Order: sequence, then structure tokens, then C-alpha cells
Amino acid sequence: MRDSDMLTCLQMTRRYLLQKSGYGLGACALSTLFQQDCSAVGKGNPLAVRKPHFPARAKSVIYIHLVGAPSHLDLFDFKPELQKRNGELCPDEFFVGKKLAFIRKQPTLLGTPKDPRYEYKKCGQSGIEISNLLPNLQKVADEMCVIKTVTTEQFNHAPAQLHLLTGFGRFGRPSIGSWATYGLGSENQNLPGFVVLITGNVAGAGSSAWGSGFIPSVYQGVEFRSQGDPVLFLSNPKGVSVESRRRIIDSVNRLNQVEYADVADPEIETRINQYEMAYRMQTSVPELMDIESETKQTHELYGTLPGKPSFANNCLLARRLVERGVRFVQLFDSGWDMHSGVFKSLPKKCEQVDRPIAALLKDLKQRGLLDETLVVWSSEFGRTPMAQGTNGMDKVLTVGRDHHKEGFALWMAGGGVKGGHVHGKTDELGYAPVENRVDTHDLNATIMHLLGMDHERLTFKYQGRQYRLTDIFGNVIQEVLS
Amino acid sequence: MGTCWQISRVCPALVLAIVAIWGSNVEAADPVVQFITDVEPIFRKHCYRCHGEVQDKAGLRLSRRAAAFGVADSDEPVIIAGKPEQSLLIKRITDAEAGELMPPDGEPLSKQEIAILRRWIKSGANWPDSVAVAKHWAYQPVVRPALPKVDNERWANNPIDRFVLKKLQERGIKPSRETDRVHWIRRVSLALTGLPPTLQEIDAFLEDRTETAYEKVVDRLLASKRFGEKWAIGWLDLARYADSNGFQADQIRDSWAYRDWVINALNRDMPFDQFVIEQLAGDLLPNASFEQKVATGFHRTVTCNVEAGVHPEENRTNQIFDRVNTTGTVFLGTSLECAQCHDHKYDPFDQKDYYRLFAYFNNTPLEVKDTGGGVTWDFYGPKMELPLPPEKQKQRDILSRELAVLKEEKQKAEKENGKSYRKWLEKISSGEPRGQWQVLSVHNFSSTGNEEFEILEDGSILVTGPVPGKTVYEILARSKLKNITAIKVEALTHEKLPGNGPGRGDKERTNFILNELSIHLQQADRRSPVKISRAIADFSQKKWDVSGAIDGNPQTGWAIAPHYHQPHWAIFALSDPLDMQESSQLMLRLDQNYGHGRTIGRLRISAYSGDAEIPVLPDEIRKLAVKRERTKEEEKKLREFHRKQNRKLIELNNKITEIRDKLKKTEPPTTLVMVEMEKPRETHILSRGNYLSPLEKVTPGVPALFDTGNDQYPPNRLGLANWLVSDHNPLLTRVTVNRWWAELFGRGIVRTLEDFGSQGEVPTHPELLDWLASELRENGWSMKKIIKTIVLSQTYRQSSQFTNESEKDPENKWYSRGPRFRLTAELIRDNALAISGLLSDKMGGPPVMPYQPGGIWRSIGRNQPKWITAQNEDRFRRGVYIIWKRDAPYPSLVSFDAPDRTACVVNRSKTNTPLQALTLLNDPAYSEMAVGLAIRMLSEPRDKTDRGRIIYGFRLCLSREPKTDEIDILLDLLKQERAAIRKNPQLVKERVKIVLPGFPMKIGAPQETAVWFAISNALLNLDETITQ
Repeated sequence: MRDSDMLTCLQMTRRYLLQKSGYGLGACALSTLFQQDCSAVGKGNPLAVRKPHFPARAKSVIYIHLVGAPSHLDLFDFKPELQKRNGELCPDEFFVGKKLAFIRKQPTLLGTPKDPRYEYKKCGQSGIEISNLLPNLQKVADEMCVIKTVTTEQFNHAPAQLHLLTGFGRFGRPSIGSWATYGLGSENQNLPGFVVLITGNVAGAGSSAWGSGFIPSVYQGVEFRSQGDPVLFLSNPKGVSVESRRRIIDSVNRLNQVEYADVADPEIETRINQYEMAYRMQTSVPELMDIESETKQTHELYGTLPGKPSFANNCLLARRLVERGVRFVQLFDSGWDMHSGVFKSLPKKCEQVDRPIAALLKDLKQRGLLDETLVVWSSEFGRTPMAQGTNGMDKVLTVGRDHHKEGFALWMAGGGVKGGHVHGKTDELGYAPVENRVDTHDLNATIMHLLGMDHERLTFKYQGRQYRLTDIFGNVIQEVLS
Repeated sequence: MGTCWQISRVCPALVLAIVAIWGSNVEAADPVVQFITDVEPIFRKHCYRCHGEVQDKAGLRLSRRAAAFGVADSDEPVIIAGKPEQSLLIKRITDAEAGELMPPDGEPLSKQEIAILRRWIKSGANWPDSVAVAKHWAYQPVVRPALPKVDNERWANNPIDRFVLKKLQERGIKPSRETDRVHWIRRVSLALTGLPPTLQEIDAFLEDRTETAYEKVVDRLLASKRFGEKWAIGWLDLARYADSNGFQADQIRDSWAYRDWVINALNRDMPFDQFVIEQLAGDLLPNASFEQKVATGFHRTVTCNVEAGVHPEENRTNQIFDRVNTTGTVFLGTSLECAQCHDHKYDPFDQKDYYRLFAYFNNTPLEVKDTGGGVTWDFYGPKMELPLPPEKQKQRDILSRELAVLKEEKQKAEKENGKSYRKWLEKISSGEPRGQWQVLSVHNFSSTGNEEFEILEDGSILVTGPVPGKTVYEILARSKLKNITAIKVEALTHEKLPGNGPGRGDKERTNFILNELSIHLQQADRRSPVKISRAIADFSQKKWDVSGAIDGNPQTGWAIAPHYHQPHWAIFALSDPLDMQESSQLMLRLDQNYGHGRTIGRLRISAYSGDAEIPVLPDEIRKLAVKRERTKEEEKKLREFHRKQNRKLIELNNKITEIRDKLKKTEPPTTLVMVEMEKPRETHILSRGNYLSPLEKVTPGVPALFDTGNDQYPPNRLGLANWLVSDHNPLLTRVTVNRWWAELFGRGIVRTLEDFGSQGEVPTHPELLDWLASELRENGWSMKKIIKTIVLSQTYRQSSQFTNESEKDPENKWYSRGPRFRLTAELIRDNALAISGLLSDKMGGPPVMPYQPGGIWRSIGRNQPKWITAQNEDRFRRGVYIIWKRDAPYPSLVSFDAPDRTACVVNRSKTNTPLQALTLLNDPAYSEMAVGLAIRMLSEPRDKTDRGRIIYGFRLCLSREPKTDEIDILLDLLKQERAAIRKNPQLVKERVKIVLPGFPMKIGAPQETAVWFAISNALLNLDETITQ
């Protein structure tokens, strides 16, 4: 398109700037968007940057979800008493009248094996206890803020994922990443504001885990795939060269302009812009995904191999994404659901994620990005301090742990959280919080707070109700803020 | 930082201030502000949720007169009659300095609303003493309004136009000019059938100058089968219809018959009341027909969690919540969800109302079935078989009869077998002299692996020489026995073998795998196969049982890990004794095809004469048989063993299995239906919606608000359905016609299609809404009649161009223009398929899999389905038939705002994104369509010039003729693409190869097709192509 054409087109549009029917969004979206952003009026771009409610501590989030739920008791919440009483029948109150996913008979207690491989170490200056299974994270402990007392309402995977990520244990609500993008827009208009990276199978909640529920679907996460086109349909069909693609898009846009001159519907102008952005994405996304350009040191730090999809690659990509202003990056890694063989499988999974996550923290820090990037390690629930399957001397490699919603540990680092800090305490057997209980809504309220948003004010009106990520709950965990 | 937020709050008010100049009903037409009609609704919408009957934040209840005229916690008077600027009420909604701007949790009051409040206070804040605050408009009975008088009777050729014109005239807006015929037929074709008009249809309409030309088009479209396929989409969103369970084990399930039921019902113009009743309670109708039962699939489409460890009762409760909430949204335009946990904050529904509705749905069985120790579950619940085509049914009937006969025979055989038990037991326990084993004398040994061999003194064969991967041994041997009933194969150890054997491949793991053993009897020139009935071994490796050596399957066989380095044997009982003559020879063939030299190193073959049953008797059975006294268990074991030896029973069982397999393969498809349990469940209010915390017991009933004539309806789903369609429920008709209106105009008369409660928008044209609602009820509930009236209106016939006049109606709220909006996801694809000439008109049946990129379906869980792209016309069927897997719906539909169908969706968003551009530009499915369109442009037009072809393609896509500059843009592209292709002929091959296997059109001129592909690709991407 010639610039002069574009100019005419924009001048013609000015008349309608004030009337823009909000980008063709759902009825209720319009007014809400208008309220939030003066600067977006006229641009009509739902992903335009919007100011937060108050100064943000983090500009972006890298949210790592370990699908299936890692055994937090063997990683971040050391329980010597549990170890001591390993093999004893669990107290009645852990079992009687409780709903457990798999355990049906009163189980025994299961401690972390007394083996140097699984031992904990006090790390860094803060002395946070982290398992030897995570030797690299041990070295960045002073960046981490471990919350040991998270509780949830759901004990099956898919509902618990929905509960954590959308604030409600059933389908239909927007995910945390879509709320963040809806609230703040995105800094990079050549990339989606909310990007999802997956290793292994897709979580049970499916695309609802990054869906937009009833808010406009521009806010849903876009998966960048590790095989085939990173973004669906990004590459031209065979036989269509870059030049040809440019020519076709030019023709489409010129024809759309003719239509616009005639009909003057602002949607047409938006479409012209979207075709330009699609064209730019054809360059910006491959450039983003091409990690070969990273230095040798960086590859060594993460353990990445260009061209070989891995969790490590996704960590590096996450840094590249936030570096480019993407608002919310969500990593999913499956394979953590260890009902049996927890002590056999856990080391293997830890080995896959330990180095790249530690590398991510270091890398963000040395680039000065950690201050404005919130990194979250999460899972839909934790695992029981009780054994699933037979426990005993010769069963160390076969025994497992069931789903546990009464209390589990996760951690955050970077943008606005206290490094080297532990929040909350569970009982000596690791069953439930005894100090500073936190629920998943509190966690979400805190993440929103760090992004500069009041979770009670970030609302979307649907079916007569002002919906929010935290349903009707949630308190910011003040103690973890730096 | 609060500042920024506040600035941004003011901003929309500025925007709205401009709107208010022409937008305000009150200012323009009715200067007197009335409390009940003007003020109270504002309070209700913005204030009551915190300052009303349910909550009184800061001690203020604006719902009460005394409080409103009293003082707030801050001691300031809330409302001072005559002095708006001194009233705290006005300060708090306009002045951020006075404290956080109200309301803090939602959209601010519009400038217009603030003006109303100001004027009301200024004029004395008249608040009548005895305000019975009027019932919310939507809960009042539908009253058929009189048609308004308008100035321009000629324009208003249909009652709808009078209502619309009146509002336009009140606002001083002129309606738009009539759109031309081409635009109209395109608009109405896409709106009614979701497909563009064909060129013949356009031409016929242009030529038809009769008065009924427009009506004829509408009648044709309404009668088209494509109508139901288009209008089903929105209904299936409401019904959250999908083809999978949702959640972690997102397996496929069959309820597509319900989808077809919806399409057929819409095509037949089933009266809408019946449409509602059959879907909610078709099963409860007297003498319910097959179709009426299929209709109840409406509420069986709910998601179901069958991930391991789920608790079925919780799952069931969640499903009922979904049914109640969906019922509220679809038939009452009301969100009931809040009342699950507490009384509704804004609308007059309390928790008891909610659980009384819950009670209607609480009597259906569990929908998951325990398939593994209380932790593994499968999707279950009532299903119904669908009829098969007659041919298949006949085949099934024959099989069923055969099965019945076999079962009878089996029963007889069982009886006889029972009789023979004692005799058998006597025989095996009597210590009858054991027969004789005799080693066969080997006459010849040959093998396929070039091995060497020597015969040892004990008659065994030691295999030496090269160790092949796989091998086959053939042994020719003689026996002196006259009568042979069993053969023994021994795999022996030997010091010459690695690790002493018996296998040859490895000195640590000395395993062998005997995949198949077969025996032939050679008599003179005749060679006949010897049937083996049973095999037993001293030891069989797990999953490598010796029975695998005689099952005819080369993948299975007999192996002995981990019992290495020791001899093993296997005995094979023959079905019939072999009568051996002097010249008879036995030919044994041992297939060992596992590889890695897992072959036998030393073997010895013996034959047995005597009762074949004896040597193959497991030790355990032999011991049990001679026991004097046996426990019940032991006796059962013996009988079971005996039963399993019965050849007749074995044969019958094999036959039965075979027929059952065949029957399984021809099983009729099923569909999910609602079924009422014989004994209804008790329903309780659930504390905070928790199924483990039941409170007070409740009975089925409609919300108390509508408690009129409640008794005449039975307390079951049918009663609920009958009440919903009765005129005791004022919501159903309003909510329904409003959705249809929105489908045609892109926005509803009530803009919030999903909410007719106090927090929803008020109707722009309340009389029109009620007129349509009463039309529906009074005209036999015909959907097609309502749609016909709407699309034949002058309102619908307006041009959709923005004009100067449009500035007075930017959102087209008053219908001063014709509708113009992007097609919905499925229709974008249907439209492109129709344009490309690829669209299949095949209707109904199981869902289809068109092209999608690999790696989209990859969920966790058992029995995950695989995506197999259709290679036939199924690839080109309409979007409504595409398989809907909830955790990964069809990606190109998702790009265009299709929901995942996990929950009821009333109104899809209509976004405009770069991912949509990428889909239309590059999705191989759309590339294939572009090839189709290129072929059409090359083969169909009469005018074979470039210009002629462009005009033809342009009309296929946009219905209208292109303008000169539009033709020029495309000619320009054509010229450049021709040059590019001339320069690089390789592109021809690549572009033509874009089509997938099974492409039904013939590519005649590859080079030109490649050039015109670019034109097609551009045309299919035009905004106007995907806009209705």
C-alpha cells in the first residue's frame, strides 16, 4: 500500500473515531475498554497498552505450570518428622471423612527417603531449604519466594487447573493470562500479548486453561508450537514466495480500501491493519523462535539445543518473549503426576526443569529483566504426605503420592516479590497449613497486584455480573511483596 | 497512581456526552423526570448491589426513601431536594475528589444518567410515598402493542418498520436508502442459509420484476435445507453441543443425532414451544417418539469428568448446576448461577428458587461408571441406539439369530459336559497306567539359517555352526508307536551352547522363542496337517505362554525368561490320535522368528501313546483329582478345568466370539438421552453449592417470582417445560425473538442477549420486542414466519453504508442502516467452500474431520482419538458437521471466535485479529479452496479474457460486479504473478500440489491455475467476502 493511500484512509476514518464500535467486540466489552484506556479510543486496538490501576512491580509474567502436580514435599517443604514416621499408619484425621482421589484404604505416612540424593540443603544467604534434586535452583534460592501453604478446592486435575488458572473449578471463565492482557494490553503489537508454550501432553483442562471464557477472544493465549509452524498458518503455502505474499496482501488491502471508501465501516480499516500485522508476524515470529542466534554461553546456561524442542528451549523462548514486551508467557510441562514411582520419576523430571529454570532466573537478572518480570512455579495442587500403593524398604522405587489440596508449596521470583523468603508453614507432617494459609485466589490477587492491578477492580460485566479472576475471594499476600 | 485511573474514567463520559446530544430519550422527548421510570432503574443498575436490600455498605440503602433523604456515615446528606450539587449522591458519582468514584466495581454512570439524576433532584426529587417499585420490565407480561403512527407510511411497509421509524423520527434520524438488489440477496442468503447466492440466483432475482420477487427469494431460502444448518450453529452454542467429554480424558462420544435433530427441527419449522418441550422433556411426553427422545440430548451435552480419581457424585452435581444455569440463560435470559451459593444480589431469585429448579433435573442417573476399583471411570449414562440402514440391519438380524442358536447349542453342550465330569475325574484319578513316551528317531533335519547339526546319543539334535537371527527348523522323524496322541518338544542344555543354552543367541540371556509349531503326517505321498488341541509347558515366560506357539499368530510364541540355563519342555496334545503305519513319518516345523538368535540349541522330540489328556494335565489338577476331600474352591477349579477341555465347547465358544465380534462391528450408533430414574432423588439446598453440605429439603418448582398457576404443572421436567412456554413466563418469547433479531441485525433489541435482568441493558425498542414476542406466540410459534417478517422489512432492506446521517447513530442502535458484520466462524469456511465449488451438501451423521495441521490433538488420558483427515467429500462438508473436541476445537474456527463448547455461550465475540488473516491466507484448507476457485475462474466464465475471468471470480465472492479500479488492482496482481511464474516455473508444480489427496476437481492448465491461484487467494481474503 502506498503511504498516501493509507493517509487518505486514516483521514476518512477520523470522522468515525469517536464512534468506533469497539473493534467489533462483544456488547459489554466496549464500555469497559473505553473506561480503561483513553489512549485506545480511536486506535480501536484491544491490545493497546493500558495503564494499570497503580504502579506495577512487574511488566510481564512467566508462569510455569507443572502439569500433574510435583511432589512439593520432596522439593520445597522438608518434613523430618514425616521422614521419621515413614511407614506408620497416617493419623485418622488425614483420612477419615476426607475425599482423596485414589487412596481408598487408610494409608501410611511417606517421608522423603533418607538418601543423599533426596536430601535437602539450606541454600544461599536466606537458608531456604531446597531438595538436592534441584541443584541449580539451590544456587538461586535467594531470588525465590517460597509459599508453603497454598490450598485449593479441587482434587482432580482438570477442575483444579481451571480453579487455579481461571478462579473457578468449572469451564467458562477467562484464564489468568487473558485477564492480564485484557487489563494491560500488550507492549509488542507484532506478537500476541499472551503466549503459551507446551512440553508433553496438553493439560486436562485443554485450551480452556489459556482460554478467554466470556471476554473477547483476542485475549486468549496463542500457542507457539515447537513443531510445524510456531503459530498456526504462519508460513506461506508452498509456491507462494515472500514477494508473492506481499503482492497478494497489497492487493487485498487496496481492494479493502476501495470498499472502505464506499462503505466507511471502521472494521474494514482494522482488517487492513491486521493484514499488515500478519505480514510482520511472518518475520517477527520466526526471528523470535530462532534461538540459534543466542550465544554459546546462553545455550550452556539453559542446556538448550537449537532445533530440538525441549522445556529448556521454552524457558529461553520465554525470556525472548518478555524481552520483546509480551505480557504473559505461560509454560506447561506435563509428566508430574506421580501416583507410583514418585522417587524414581521425580529425579528425572527435576533434571529436565531444574537447570533451565535456574538459568532463566539468572539470565533475566543479568539482563536487568528480573525486576520487571514475575516468574511463577505452580501446579494445580500438591501431593499427599501419605503413600499411595505399598510403602516399605523395598518399595522406595514403586510407592507414590496422591493428589493433595489441603496445602502445597510453590514459589515466585522477580518482579516485586521478596527474594530468599519463605511464607507460611505447614504442620510437622506437611498435611495442612498452620501459619499463613493462602488460597489460589490469594495467589491470583497477588499476581494481579504485582502487575499493578486491583483484582477487585479488574472486572468484566457478563450476564449482569461484574466478573473477576478471583470470583468473590482473594487477598493480596502482603508479606511476599518486596 | 489513582489519578490515571480517574482520568480514564472521565474519558468515556466525554465520549458519551457527545452521544447524549442525540442519544437521550429523556432530553429529547420527555423533559419530566419520573422516579419510577427514570431514576429507580439507574439506582437498580448501578447502586443496589452495594446499597440495596441485600447489602447496605456504609450504612446506606438507596432502595429506601428515608435512607436516601437521610445522611451518610460522613454525616453529609445523601439527597437534598432541589440542590443536586450539594447532594452527596451526585458528588460521589461525579467528583473523584470527594472519594473513590462510585460505583467502584463496574462501569460508571453515563453522562446521560447523571443528567437525569441531577434534573430529578433539581426538580424537587419527587419520590412518591407509596412506591410499589414497578416490576422489572422483563418480568411483566408481554402485551401486544398497537402499531405506532408514523409520518412516512410508504417507507413503513411492515409493522416492524413502524416501530423502527418512530424511534428514528423521534431522534431526527433519516433512515438509509434502500440497498440495491444484489446487496440484498447476498445479505439475505447469507443470513438465512449461511451461503452466498449463486450467480444464477442473483440473475434470476435481478430479472424478476414482479411484486413478489423479494418474497419469493425469502421463501426459497427458508425452504432450503441449508437454513437449518445455518441456524443450528447458534442453538448448538447455547446447548454447548460437542462430540467429546471435556476435561482430562476428553474422549469422543456420540450425540450427533441430537445435532441432526436440531437441524431437522429448524428445517421443518417445528413450532418453537414444541422445540423447547421436546428438548427439555421429550422422554416424558406420553408415548414419546424416537425423535422426541433424541431431542433430550440437549441436556446430555454437558461436560463430564472421567479422569481417574474423580468423585462421581460431585461430577453429577456439577452437571446439574450446568443444566440449571443453561436453562436459565437459554429460556429465561437470566443468569441464575449466583443463587447456587446465595440469594441473587440484583435479581429476584433466591437460593431456594435455584434448588427448586435443581430438583427438576435431579432425577437422572449417574453418568460415569466405575471401571477400575473406584478410581477409574468411564463416561456412561443413558444412551439410545439409532436405527441402521435396512441392509445393515438385516445382516445384524441374521447374526443375532445365529448367535441365539449357538447359545442354545452351548447350553446343551454344557449340560452334556457336566454329565461327563464324574467319568473324567475317575479316569484321571484312577491312576490309569500312564502311557509311553518314546523319543522319535530323526530322519532328517533342515533349517533356513544355514546351521549345522549333530544327532546325539539320546536322540536329541544339537544345533551348531552359524547363529542366524531367525530360523525355521524342519524335522522328519519316525516312531514305532502305533498310535500317537501327544508330542513333546524338549529344549535342552549343552556345554557347547553359549551359557549352556538352551537358546543360542546370548550367553547371559539364553532365551529362545518358539513362535509356531506345526506338525504334518506324511503317509506315502500324502501329507496331512495334524491338529493340535492344547499345549502345556514346564514354564512359560510372562506374556509368552506356550499356547502362543499353536495359535497361528507369528507374533506370539513360547519363551522361558528368566529361567535361563536349564532344560524346558512343552507338550502338545493332538486333537485326534494319529494312526501310524510302517511308512508314516512325522514332519515338524518350528518357526523361530524373534531375531537375535533366540533359537533352540538342543532339542529332542518324543511321542506319546495313551490318553492324551494325561500328559498335558497340569500338576495342580492331577493333585486335586486324587485328593479325597476337596474344598468348594478346589472342586470349582477342577470343574472349570474339565469344562475348558471340552472340544465342542471350545469350538462353540470360538464361534460365539466370532459372531459377537461381527455384531460389535455392525453395532448401531447411539445417542445420549435423558432418562428419569424410577425413584426420584431428594433435593436439598446445598450450602455454598457444596454437594457434601445439604441443608433444607426442597421440591421442584418454578421461581417464586412467577408463581402463578404453578399448580397446573406436574413437578417434573415436562411440567417445567410446559411452564416455560406458557404465558405465565414472559421471558421465553422475548429472549427468543431477541436472539433471532440479533442474528439478523448483529445486535439485539436488548443488547445483552444473555441478560434480561436488572443489570442488563434495557430494550431500545420495547414495543417492537413485545410485538415480535406476541407474534411468535400468536402465529403457531413459527420461527420462519418471524424471520420472514423481519427480512422483508424496509428496515432490513436499508443500505449498510456509513453516511453523514450515521454520525447520529454510530452503533446502529436505532437501525438507521442495514446490518453489516463479519460472518461467524463456520460460515466463513462454508462460504469459501461454496465459492470454490467444493462444498458438499451431504447432511447429518457422524462428525467429520477436514484438514487440520498435525499435533493439535494431544491430550492426556485413555483412549484418545486420532485425527484422520477425510480424503473424500467429508473434507468439504459444512462447519456444523466438524467434530468438536472440547479441549482442542478445530483451530481455524477458534481463530474466528468459535467457543470450545464447554459451557453455554449466547453471543460469540466478533474479533478482528492477525491470526484470522494468517488463517485465510495460509491454512492449507483455504489454499485448497483457492485452487478450486482458480479452476472455476478458468473453466466457467463465458468471457475468457483476463478481465472476464476476474469479473466472474469477483461475483462468485462478492455477488456484485467489480468497479473498474477493483478490476485494475487484480489485473495488476495477475500481471506480476504471471511474470513471477514465468521466471520460476517450479512454482507451478508447488502451487498445483497444494491440494490434498482426494481433491475432486480436475486441474486442466497447471500454469494458469498457478497464476490464478494468487487472484483466488486475494479474493477469498477480502473483507467483503467474509462480511454479510
